[in-house]
Amino acid sequence: MVGNTAEAEDLTQEAFLQLFRKISTFRGESAFSTWLHRLAVNVVLMKLRKKSGKETSLEQVTEPDDESGGPRRDFGTADLKLSGSLDRVNLQRAVDQLPPGYKAVFVLHDVQGYEHNEIAEIMDCSIGNSKSQLHKARMRLRELLHEEVRDKAREERRALGNASGSED
Amino acid sequence: MGMAGCNEFVNRLEQWLEGERPAESAAHLQGCPSCRGLMEDLDSIQTIARSMETDAAPPERVWTSVRARLEQEGLIQGETHGWAGGLRSWLGGVFSPVPRPALAGAYLVALVAVGAALSIPGYRQVNRLSAPAFSASLDSAEHATLAMGDPDPAIAASLEKNLAIVDNYIALCEKSVQEEPESEDARDFLYDAYEQKADLLAEIAERGDGR
Repeated sequence: MVGNTAEAEDLTQEAFLQLFRKISTFRGESAFSTWLHRLAVNVVLMKLRKKSGKETSLEQVTEPDDESGGPRRDFGTADLKLSGSLDRVNLQRAVDQLPPGYKAVFVLHDVQGYEHNEIAEIMDCSIGNSKSQLHKARMRLRELLHEEVRDKAREERRALGNASGSED
Repeated sequence: MGMAGCNEFVNRLEQWLEGERPAESAAHLQGCPSCRGLMEDLDSIQTIARSMETDAAPPERVWTSVRARLEQEGLIQGETHGWAGGLRSWLGGVFSPVPRPALAGAYLVALVAVGAALSIPGYRQVNRLSAPAFSASLDSAEHATLAMGDPDPAIAASLEKNLAIVDNYIALCEKSVQEEPESEDARDFLYDAYEQKADLLAEIAERGDGR
């Protein structure tokens, strides 16, 4: 979820320290595995929010477009598709740019294979909220990946222009 | 195909992905290359995301560090035989009700055995070594380790097969790094791949020692 092995190890350590410190607060209201997942996800989210400079809850994590009711209208174009240019490295780079709440739901669902009801329990939100965050996360990822493809194409054109200019 | 149709389709996309397929959305999708492109992109994102699942267990040093901190805070006391292993097994039980896609058997063993490789002197400096230097030192370790062999031919074959899987993964990661030398993610994946190979070699060496 953090996209960095050393940071993941630090957070694993922090999550298990928290487990020992907070085990007395576990009241058996949910399965222990759910409680532990929630604790771990909270440790990661706190870290991600500190990095992004935001103090927000999952319910509050929104992109500017969300305030107008949905993801940005960025339709596919015949000449710009991700298939063929998408790999783990550039997807990871895009995931790293997601807001914490989007990132958490996307990683839990699409990468790790959790179901929305599990995510809702882990993240302490509604199933509908988990679905909506996932949809927005995927749409935002698509935008980020398209931006990258466009930037790359622009750089290539510039490089070609420079090369042909130097030949003249 | 008009933009209004696209807007309508995107507005209903979340429901569409949940399996709700109104006839007008289906008709729009059929006639709209733009929205078909959108769906293909979302499919590609999900396919690649699924391949990013790593079932990696934390390395031994994480448990050692957790233990030291807990002792320091007085939450646990003294030496407990097999503490880290016990905690890992216990956690395995805790997480077992949640089905997870699993990696190939001994490949997973290689991931779990990270700690063994990290006990090799100087291994922690791996990030300061260049990729070719680390790759070369892994190759030497591989020759030395494979020369030891394993008394059980079935296990030896399985370990070699897993070594081939890890080598393939390393080759893919090296290609990514060559293509994008400035990418931290690509380098992270590569070092992770090297780490997995070191783990596997450590596992093989450990078995060889036990003969």
